[in-house]
Amino acid sequence: MNFDLSEERTLLKDSISRFVRDNYELESRIKHSQSSKGFSAENWNSIAELGWLALPFPEEDGGIGGNQIDTMVVMEEFGKGMVLEPYFASIVLGAGALRRGASDDMKEAMFEGVIDGSKQLALAYAESQARFDLHDVVSSAKQDGEDFVLNGNKCVVQNAETASHIIVSARTSGGQIDTDGISLFLIDVNSEGFELLNYPTVDGLRASEITLTNVRVNKTGVVGEVGAGFEILQAVANDAILALAAEAIGTMEMLYTDTIEYTQQRVQFDQKLSDFQVLQHRMVDMFMEYEQCKSLLYRATLEVVENREGAQRSVHALKHLIGKAGTFIAENAVQLHGGMGMTEELRIGHFFKRLTVIDMQFGNSDYHLEKFAA
Amino acid sequence: MDIELSKTDLEFQAEVRQFLSDNAYKPGEDYNKWRMNWFATAAAKGGWDVPKWPKEFGGPGWTPSQHYIWEREKAGKNLPWDLPFGIGMLAPVLMAHGNQKQLDRFMPDIRARKVIWCQGYSEPGAGSDLANLQTKAELTEDGKHYIVNGTKIWTTVAHMADWIFCLTRTSNTGKKQEGITFLLFPVKQEGVEVQPIITLGGAHTVNTVFLTDVKVPVENRIGEEGKGWTYAKGLLQHERTGLAGISNSLVALAKLKKNARSIIRGNGTLMDEPAFRSKVAELEVDLHALEYTELRSLANAAAGSDPGPESSILKLKGTEIQQRLAKLTVEAGGLHAAGWGQPVGPAFAHSGMQSYLGSRAYTIYGGASEVQRDVIAKNVLGLKKKSSEKTRTGKG
Ligand SMILES: Cc1cc2nc3c(=O)[nH]c(=O)nc-3n(C[C@H](O)[C@H](O)[C@H](O)COP(=O)(O)OP(=O)(O)OC[C@H]3O[C@@H](n4cnc5c(N)ncnc54)[C@H](O)[C@@H]3O)c2cc1C
Repeated sequence: MNFDLSEERTLLKDSISRFVRDNYELESRIKHSQSSKGFSAENWNSIAELGWLALPFPEEDGGIGGNQIDTMVVMEEFGKGMVLEPYFASIVLGAGALRRGASDDMKEAMFEGVIDGSKQLALAYAESQARFDLHDVVSSAKQDGEDFVLNGNKCVVQNAETASHIIVSARTSGGQIDTDGISLFLIDVNSEGFELLNYPTVDGLRASEITLTNVRVNKTGVVGEVGAGFEILQAVANDAILALAAEAIGTMEMLYTDTIEYTQQRVQFDQKLSDFQVLQHRMVDMFMEYEQCKSLLYRATLEVVENREGAQRSVHALKHLIGKAGTFIAENAVQLHGGMGMTEELRIGHFFKRLTVIDMQFGNSDYHLEKFAA
Repeated sequence: MDIELSKTDLEFQAEVRQFLSDNAYKPGEDYNKWRMNWFATAAAKGGWDVPKWPKEFGGPGWTPSQHYIWEREKAGKNLPWDLPFGIGMLAPVLMAHGNQKQLDRFMPDIRARKVIWCQGYSEPGAGSDLANLQTKAELTEDGKHYIVNGTKIWTTVAHMADWIFCLTRTSNTGKKQEGITFLLFPVKQEGVEVQPIITLGGAHTVNTVFLTDVKVPVENRIGEEGKGWTYAKGLLQHERTGLAGISNSLVALAKLKKNARSIIRGNGTLMDEPAFRSKVAELEVDLHALEYTELRSLANAAAGSDPGPESSILKLKGTEIQQRLAKLTVEAGGLHAAGWGQPVGPAFAHSGMQSYLGSRAYTIYGGASEVQRDVIAKNVLGLKKKSSEKTRTGKG
């Protein structure tokens, strides 16, 4: 048994860590977050040039042949800087669906651009009424000759604003919550009837509400089999949870270490805050929660990679704990910083907001506890 | 033991309801005019504009149960905006320690909401350890003025305020708590620079206030020089009892349930989902208990005894409940609660996130929860601190 990263992955971790350190001072992050795209085009190019976009693609598709462990390494480091570039949306979600369902022609048309960063993907899976259920889909796709015609709404689609292509789930048959009958479509954002309402999210990222009005997609734009999109979605959601959890781990590490550092400097009542036993114990609890999350991250990631029985349950357990422990760590980091923790000036508050949003993405803590127990 | 409201209490309750509905804001009305009218009408009722002021200063002289009724009835209603600093914090200090001239000068404008006050206590080095404050006030040679130098931080609404009540240091000898002097001075004057601090979510309510050679006439000192700590401590107690927010939490809980019921899940709603439902139920249990903790504290006060240990629990538990309510509202909002800048999804999701971010400060200001627990340990349970006790009262 061995939980060490391979030499290759250690090098990868180091170079991403350096990239985040060099480019993700809070000030730069805020600047890029407020820029027109919501991230830095320059950073996106660097990420592409460094080959990180190619990581999870099979070698025969021009990729590096990595798996969820590589994504974990990337996302954990990204979490330490709250990286804004659409790695998660394009590479984990969008490309995750394509890797599983794209036809050879589609791969041919898309992968090169996605890997070099010139094409950017997003995944529109959520609907307002669905809450966190991937299979609750009312957007419809009706066949009309060679085309499908899509109508409906998709909500909170991360990084749709800058995407060139968006993968949309829509119902081709079945009732509102049937797992059968959901199909995935690759849609060019310039398609007629495809409308975005873009907005920032509280964590400094971007999302969009999408309205589909008679959007025509040729049947060659179906990702996977018609009616069998749910399986792909579920696999992508598991990848997404592993990636988000890794990001959260990076974020939690920053929160608890920043808190330790701050309390060692801040003096009240003629002593360092870190000398108060009650605060020491609180920080110990934060640290333990972080370690517990890390253990579940390793467990779920390895079980998914090795396709083990129980992997699905571990993914639920992981997302539950990430939400719960993330809240505990983030709230206490703010609390122990006192007034300073409430300011936009320190990164503490920004990490807090990111963890709050991570809890909502792909099902919150309660949702996954229920699935775990079921 | 009984919990019946008396006949007079029931009559009072009806009168309050009538008053609140008669004077409710009507859409289209000039807001400021309505606001000023509201306070004037409330004043004409016999001090309803200043419910907590004692009768001799124009308050209504309500019994504890009348206060309780007022709090419950007004919660969730659209009352005119108001700030606690003048009415709730400075006024009690003036009543207790101000001279007649100061009372005549400041009280009418406070009551009429003509002057906005802010509270200049905290400093970069003096947060929980407030007595460590260093802003210096030096008497001029002619004894007519103090010259004030230093930095105040987290000063809520300083950027809107006309006046500040400020704790300053006039002496460095003796204990930290000695040598603190309570001064009042205008914010908009030379030597006072107000710099915004942006808090989570982009709000500007707090500020840093830089004080450079600010000239304050000695007439603006409350009470004796060097005794400001004693005056301020009384004020902190006023601040804390007001922070439990139980009435508002009851209203917020009802709203949370209503909002959660608007989220359809299968044949039911979000309120039928086990994990969410049990969190809401646990919160309600705690709130029901705290409601009675408050009543017990009120009953003690009515009997003329000290507020009792119950009152120490109120701020701590009350603010934690407010935070949990905000968090649950965010959870109810689902993915849409992440939306920012422009509301998307259910309307409550957006405001819920704002409340959640803001609510994190509730356990920091007005005595942080950790420090509050220290106070209960010491004053209620009689647990003494060993080593830190000395440093706490040791010289600054
Ligand atoms: C939104 C907001 C509005 C405010 N408005 C005003 C205002 O209008 N006027 C004003 O004067 N001040 C105001 N304050 C300041 C507020 O009173 C202080 O933030 C508070 O006293 C805490 O001080 P601090 O921020 O320096 O935190 P610190 O005192 O540095 O505390 C940091 C952490 O250490 C803990 N801690 C400190 N001492 C101990 C101990 N002995 N044992 C265990 N734990 C301890 C605290 O509980 C906290 O978790 C405001 C603050 C906020 C956030």
